[in-house]
Amino acid sequence: MSPASAVSVRDAAKVYRRYGRRPHGTLKSALLSRAAAIEGGVTALDGVSFEVAAGETLGVIGANGSGKSTLLKLLAGIMRPTRGSVEVRGRLAALLELGAGFHPELSGRENVEITGLLLGLTKKQIAARFDDIVRFAGVEEFLDAPVKTYSSGMAVRLGFAIAAHSDPDVLLVDEVLAVGDEAFSHRALEKFSEFERAGRTLVFVSHDLALVAERCRRALWLDGGRLRADGPAPETVNRYRERVAAVEGRRRLGEPRPSPAGADRIGSGEARIEGVRLLDSEGRPAGGVRAGEPATLEMTVRAAAPLSDFVFGFRISTVAGVMVLGTNTALEGLRPERFEGEGRVTLRLPALDLVSGVYSVDVAVHAKNGVPYDALVDVLCFEVASDRAGAGLWGPARRWDFSDGIRWRN
Amino acid sequence: MTLNPLRRALAQRPLVLALTRRELSARYRGGALGFLWSLVNPLLLLLVYATVFRLVFTPRADVRPYALFLFSGILVWGFVSAALHDAVETFRSNGPLLRKTIVSPEVFPAACVGARLAHLLLALPVLAGAIVWAAARGSVRPGPAMAAFPLVLLLLTLTVFGLALAVSALAVHFGDVRDIVGNLLTLAFFLTPVLYPAGAVPERFRFLLRVNPFGTFFSGVHDALFFFRPIPAKDWAWMAGTAVVCLVAGAAVFERLRDTLAEEA
Repeated sequence: MSPASAVSVRDAAKVYRRYGRRPHGTLKSALLSRAAAIEGGVTALDGVSFEVAAGETLGVIGANGSGKSTLLKLLAGIMRPTRGSVEVRGRLAALLELGAGFHPELSGRENVEITGLLLGLTKKQIAARFDDIVRFAGVEEFLDAPVKTYSSGMAVRLGFAIAAHSDPDVLLVDEVLAVGDEAFSHRALEKFSEFERAGRTLVFVSHDLALVAERCRRALWLDGGRLRADGPAPETVNRYRERVAAVEGRRRLGEPRPSPAGADRIGSGEARIEGVRLLDSEGRPAGGVRAGEPATLEMTVRAAAPLSDFVFGFRISTVAGVMVLGTNTALEGLRPERFEGEGRVTLRLPALDLVSGVYSVDVAVHAKNGVPYDALVDVLCFEVASDRAGAGLWGPARRWDFSDGIRWRN
Repeated sequence: MTLNPLRRALAQRPLVLALTRRELSARYRGGALGFLWSLVNPLLLLLVYATVFRLVFTPRADVRPYALFLFSGILVWGFVSAALHDAVETFRSNGPLLRKTIVSPEVFPAACVGARLAHLLLALPVLAGAIVWAAARGSVRPGPAMAAFPLVLLLLTLTVFGLALAVSALAVHFGDVRDIVGNLLTLAFFLTPVLYPAGAVPERFRFLLRVNPFGTFFSGVHDALFFFRPIPAKDWAWMAGTAVVCLVAGAAVFERLRDTLAEEA
């Protein structure tokens, strides 16, 4: 463990036994065998190594079941790694579940004391911080009522308040901000900032990718128990998002979609979108295109009864939700006259100058006032492949020129 | 030889006390009689046994008044049996705490023993009242030998804590432990001098009282609180030895299974 590290994880692995299988076959083997050999167990974490510098805020992202919570439990010392080592320097507090220690029959006051002790505070410290905790949680009037009478929001706030005031060197947080309301999340994030400024180390697991990208300098991406990425948070988040979209895209695109039933759909049904396709430069349905090549988006629509008020629209977004193109027939100045039966709407893009990545398409047919007849969100994904390096959204063909004083190696 | 679980439980005294208090106050909150309920069970048992033995069997002459003789044993047995029953369940009922907070797991069996010990201590004034009343009627003559009781109770508590460590951890891994403990306790109740004095057991069966870890403690309780006679040195040695063996063995079992408790509970 390097001297500046607050957390050091080396080649850590965790294997759980399969449900229903006892780790120890018999009482005797339980007591005599040195370590339980786990055969055919479930590997939750495999060969994970990283260090966290003191004062760093580290985000951990990944799909459900990727090992995030297991990692936090290893860091917290609640479980031991099956292999490898986990070291944490300094006083540690874990917020794995807000209000985990609360006893429903006891009052808020009594629960604050027990939870504080569980977090390693002394009675004196708890007494000194009691008022701050109660004020932060906003439960002054309910202190002597049993916690079972609290709203879930109150219990969560109280749980967070106690942990936030426990003053640890390293704080582990597992997806607990998702439960509170806006005001609470805001206060909680402020508390985290305060924490960072005080030079404390924060490790937090979240599904809120935007939050991780914004709040953490660094992020880990766990995938199937392995460390897939470890780097600056925005980069890790983007890689993760692209991966998620690519996995979905592979399942969804490539073949024409005559009835896009799986997508999120809203609309009155006066017209119905029956298919959406991406066509490559040769007019074949495709799941991806090369940057700079032509691409065509096509939707097949059927009007239930003849319509005289209609707008067709396409939207292309990154999987992170940033719109790269949004257009419709009204914006293009087309004035509807009549639409009956089945129609095909085609949007031709002569050169798809996007950076490589996965993109998502929304389509809609709606009235001029915006009321949708049929609208499909994320109806298909496609992948843009590119040889052109570069960050951002726009990936046009480009050329660099340099004056004589600047030379490059061949 | 490791006594780490004992050491960790002692290091976490404030938490053990808080959990003990939680156990006590959560249990009796909301009931009109509150704590008095913990007295109802031993008093009821006392009434039943005293009635049955007085009306059906005739108690031996040396254990009269029989109700008073029964009282101390039943109270102390209630502590032993309830503490071990609670210990079997403790990791199940405290699963969320164990899985979601950073806590030394030994505090849970410690709190089980602590809460049941508190019940016993709170009932002692009633026992004291009974002794005073019997003394006033001239049925018994209390003496300084009573002073041995706290030490007997301390050694018994250590023994029970050792056993509680073992059964709490084993119960997490083996579903049968609860039934095994329940049955063994029922058996032990009759193998322990609670309803009868140790002296009433024929010489050739006396070893059973020694094999049963609680046997000597209860003859000690009777010596101190009913016969008011000093406890023989051999019995003291046996009690101390039992406490040490149970603590060391319980701690070893607990230590071996400790790392997997959070996963399995």
